This record gives sequence, C-alpha cells and structure tokens, in this order.
Amino acid sequence: MFNYNFRWAQAMASLPRMLEGALVTLEVALLSMVIGISIAIVLTLFRLSGSRILSAVAATWVEIARNTPALFQIYMVHFGLGGFGIHLSPYLSLLIGIAFNNAGYLSENFRGALKGIPETQTRSARSLGMTPIAAFRYVVMPQMLRISFLPMTNQMVWAILMTSLGTVVAMNTDLYGVTSDLNARTFRTFELFAIAAMIFYLITKTVTLSARLLAARLFRY
Amino acid sequence: MFDTALTTNDLIFLARGAGVTLIVTAIAVFFGTVMGIVFGVFRYQVGPWWAAPLTFVLDIFRSIPLLIQLVLANAFVTTVLGWRVSGFTVACGVLSLYTAAYCAEIVRGGIEAVPPTLRRAARSLGLSWGQDMTSIVMPLAVRIALPSWIGLALGVMKDSALVYVVQVVELLKSAQILITRLQEPLFLLIVCGSFYFLISFPIARFGGYLERKWSRD
Amino acid sequence: MKIKHVVPGLVLAAALAGPAFADKLDDIISSGTLRCAVVLDFPPMGSRDESNNPVGFDVDYCNDLAAALGVEAEIVETTFPERIPALMSGRVDVAVASTSDTLERAKTVGFSIPYYAFENAVVANEGVEMTDWEGMRGKTVGATAGTYEAIWLEEKVTEWGEGEFRPYQNQADVFLALSQGQLDATVSTVEVAQANVASGNFPGIKIVDKAPMVPDYVALITLREEYGLINYMNLFINQQVRTGRYAELYAKWVGEGEPADLTVQGVYR
Repeated sequence: MFNYNFRWAQAMASLPRMLEGALVTLEVALLSMVIGISIAIVLTLFRLSGSRILSAVAATWVEIARNTPALFQIYMVHFGLGGFGIHLSPYLSLLIGIAFNNAGYLSENFRGALKGIPETQTRSARSLGMTPIAAFRYVVMPQMLRISFLPMTNQMVWAILMTSLGTVVAMNTDLYGVTSDLNARTFRTFELFAIAAMIFYLITKTVTLSARLLAARLFRY
Repeated sequence: MFDTALTTNDLIFLARGAGVTLIVTAIAVFFGTVMGIVFGVFRYQVGPWWAAPLTFVLDIFRSIPLLIQLVLANAFVTTVLGWRVSGFTVACGVLSLYTAAYCAEIVRGGIEAVPPTLRRAARSLGLSWGQDMTSIVMPLAVRIALPSWIGLALGVMKDSALVYVVQVVELLKSAQILITRLQEPLFLLIVCGSFYFLISFPIARFGGYLERKWSRD
Repeated sequence: MKIKHVVPGLVLAAALAGPAFADKLDDIISSGTLRCAVVLDFPPMGSRDESNNPVGFDVDYCNDLAAALGVEAEIVETTFPERIPALMSGRVDVAVASTSDTLERAKTVGFSIPYYAFENAVVANEGVEMTDWEGMRGKTVGATAGTYEAIWLEEKVTEWGEGEFRPYQNQADVFLALSQGQLDATVSTVEVAQANVASGNFPGIKIVDKAPMVPDYVALITLREEYGLINYMNLFINQQVRTGRYAELYAKWVGEGEPADLTVQGVYR
C-alpha cells in the first residue's frame, strides 16, 4: 500500500535513549514550573504593591511573555543575553525561557484568581494584627493557588510541550533533542517522531491525571 | 539608536515573511474555528460516550508538541503516502486541526454555560432545535467564548512561528535568514518580536476589555 | 464472465505501470523545473546577496545541472538537518547541498560521485588559548546538527570524556555562538571558516588548525532508487571537471589555487 519501507526495529532500538530524554524533558518542565510559580507570585505582589515602577515591571514581563512566541523568548535568552556576555548553557537557556513564559501566563491567572477572593478577608487579617505580607502569605495565597490549580496544570502541559523548542539553543538531551539528533543521523523521520509523539502523549496524560488525583486529595470538602 | 545595514529590500523581505505568518494564521483560524464549532456542538449533542473517539483524537493535538505534529504530518503525507504537497499546505492543515482541537473545547464550554432551564423554556415555547441553537444558545455562548477564542487566535499566530520546520518562510524564519547575512541578531530579533507584540497586544487588550464588559452585565 | 475481472485488472495494471515508466529524470524534464535543496548559510557554497537572492557555488552548480537538463532551476533553502528530509518528502528533486557521502546516509539516499571535497578547520574564539586541534579537548565545542563535522566532533568529545558538544540548528547560529564566546571552538570547512573570518561579520574568531579528518568528499543526492538520475548526475559532474567549469566556479567562489582533487588514489570510483 505504501511506497515506503518502515524500519520500526531500527527506530525502536533508540527507545532507551529517548526515554532518558523524556526524563530530562519532565525535569525541565517541573523546574520551570517551580521557578515560574515563584516568579509569578512575586510579580503578583508587585502588582498589588501599589508602586508604579514595580507594577510596570510586572506588566512588561507579563505582556512580553504573553504576546511573543515562546520560540522567540527561548532564542532571546540564549543569543540575546549572549550578546551582553551572559552565557547560559542550552539547558539553562531552555529552562529560563520556559520559566519566563510560565511566570507571565501564571501571573495573569493569579490576577484573575485574586478577583474571586474578597478584599474583606485581607482587611480582617490585617485587623487581627497580621502584616500585609503575612495576610497575603497565610490568607490570600493559599486560596489563589487553589483557584489557579487547573490553569497551573494546563501551564505544566504547555511547559512539557515547550521543551521541544530547545533545539534552537542546541539542547540535545531532552526528548525532542534526542529524537531530532537521531533523525539527523538515520533519517527515519516518521518512525522516530511517531515514537516521540507517543511518549509525549503518555507524559502529558500522566501529568494531567496525577494533577486531577492530587486536586481531589488536596481540595476535598 | 541602532546602526543597521538593513535596506529597503530587506524590509520588503521581512514584510513578506510577516505576510506569510498572517496568511497561515488566518487560514488556520478560519478552518479551525469552523471545524471547532462542528466538533464542539457534536460533542455536546451526543454526550461524552458517543463523542469519546472524537474527544480522544482532538486531545492528541493538545498533548503533543506542535513541532512534532508538523514534522510527523509532513513525513506521513509526503514520504509515507508519497503525495506532492507543499509545506505551506501541510502547515495550514496541521495548524487548522490544532486550532480546531482547542476551539472545540471553547465551544463546548460556551454551550454548557448557557443555563439548561433557559433552553427548555425556549423549546417549550415551540422553538426548534435549530432555532434554539441560533437564537438562544449562540448569542449567549459567543459572549462567553469570544475572549477565549481571541486568546486562541493569538496563540495560533505565535505558534505559527514553528512552521519553519516544513520549509515555510514566515516572519521568524525571514528574520533568521537576514541575521545570517547581516549578522545583527539582536536588532533583527527585536524587530521581529515587536511585530508579534504590536499585533498581539492590542487584540489581547481588546479581548480583556470584552471579557470585563460582558462579565459585568 | 472472466472479462469482468480482466477489465478492472487492466485498468489497475495501467494505473500502476503508468508512473513506473517515468522515473524522476523524466519527471524533471517533463515538469520543466529542477528543484534543488541548497543550504544558504554556508558561504561560499550557498548564501544570499543584498537582494536576498540565493548565490554561491552550490547555487551555480544547481543552475548548471538545470541548464544541462534543459529546465529551470528552483532553489529551495533548507538547513543542514532538513536537507535529507526535504528530499525524502519529495519537496525537492536533488540536493546540491555539500552533502558528505557517509555510509549511514547511503542507507537512505542515493549519492552521485563527489563534486567537491572540503578540508576542515578548527575555528576558535580569540579569547581561548588554543594552538592546535587537540586544544579542543575539555572545551565547549559545537557544530551544525547532523553534519559530517558535527558527527566527528561529537565522537571526539565522547572519546575524550570531557568538555561539551552542542549541536545548533544552522551554521549561522554556530558562528554567532562562537563569536559571542558561548562556544570555545567549532570545526567547519576551511572555505566557510575563511569566508566567515574575512567577512568581519563574526568578530573575535580565528582559524587555529586543520582538523585531522580525511578529506570530506561531498556529493549530489537524490532518492536511492533513481538510478537514471544518479547516472546522469555522475556524467554531469565528470563533464563539469572536463570542461573546466569546475575550476571556473572554484575561482569565482572560493578563490586562488587548485580546486580540490576529486579522485581517490588506489580505488575505483
């Protein structure tokens, strides 16, 4: 039927290397989420601070992250900063690029979540003698993170998918990098990328399912 | 501020790349939205069980990197099936399905947000399914779905930067070609990034405005 | 009754046999265009002029081949990693893209006889102490993914057990990274290295040494089963040398001196 000879055996022989790559992909995505969430919280605080400069910094970050392609952001981290003598390894360039993007989108989600938390709560906390930071830390933030749990899961999936952009900064240890490296040697494009697609699918499904289970455990009542 | 060797010719070259980005985006968003509406209504109408195969297929487009979808579709259509198809066609096809997968979710969400009691009231007044869909559900669902849809369309424009893998010379690729010749990476990338920003930012703001305006009443 | 089965059978046979008679060589001649994959960030073999039109040794070579076939040439730009996939996917008919004739690639594509031979040079950032190619040991080195040099260099790094290898997606990114100091050194063809140092586009790079690789013979490629076209390309390359066109193109794009010898002593072909 097809005028094409599939060589699955040859491609399958690379499976162990690709699975190792999958671990790197997962690691980069997880770290980028941890960094992204931390920065997003800081950016949210900047926006709440009332300081014009801090709000502007936060707004600039969010708008650049949301309105330019992720590929552009990752490329800029590597070659843009490189122009100023700041040299980051491919791994760090990819990680920081994705974390930058995550922080922008998550900060916007957090802002949306804050609208659902009544202002009166902060005021009550303050009148109980809590400092503004303590009120945010113990009253507002836990609720904010919970409301944003679903968007955070989505962002985690995007972070996994974004790792595929690492090849532009010479990343070759993640799943996409390993696959494209193998492809450049053997040219079994269809077989190799079909296997990579399957692994990506399994990773994202595992992540969304575990997030759902986690949510059920964390937020029951 | 920038001392550049960029000539008018180069600007035209960049503009052509920007044109390709916009055309690919327009085609993908158009066909993706049409398919997304069909899939979304179908999924809502037949219920989760009968829609399971469709849900599964659409979910694949949201669980695999777009870069891999493009490479894989290109390899399948041209190498395995042996069709002579241009990279542009492959890019538009994949991006349309990718858009449809997200759009179906938005449409379904929009329909589900219309109160069922309202629809039952409409049907009991003698409206047909079609009338109910067009004059009751659509106006309300569009209000709910439009801001997300704008976000999706902008997302597709940014993601279209990846179609370079199937030899389509869009904006980012054009910029890279010029960088190769002129060696002004920072300047050219900033020009290119600003283009995306200048299109995306006002539209995103408009989407946010609609969302705020409509959620008030 | 039998005739019922024969007629569709004949139609099917005709449909199957039809395309089988015309091979790629026929297709190219009848379609009137020869689509060549050329890498355009690889001066002097392929680059773009001020109007962003493709120029270079490979571009001229493709034009010559098209002229010999009596058709129009169409240059399709690909990066190094993309050139064979572009060929396999039928997006181009041949690749005139300085493709090294490795045995691994020959499992997938069909090679002509060599049409050019490169020597490779080690190029380093000026800030790096390096006197010969062994100086790359333990350094951060890189090359364009999937190229002959990249495969050689990555093997060396693995063999040394120290240092780091980075595969960038195109030649321009490699030299950009080298110029910025993100890479300590790269290996590229002497022609490309000299062109890039001379252009002044990449400040802060220097040629250190020749890389100890056997001459890197590059050939034209097309689909593995297209013997007719491969035969044609072999004769074409032979004629290019015989008529002096090869030397002419060498003088035009590479410079003074003898063009690379395309024969190997002591073996046929």
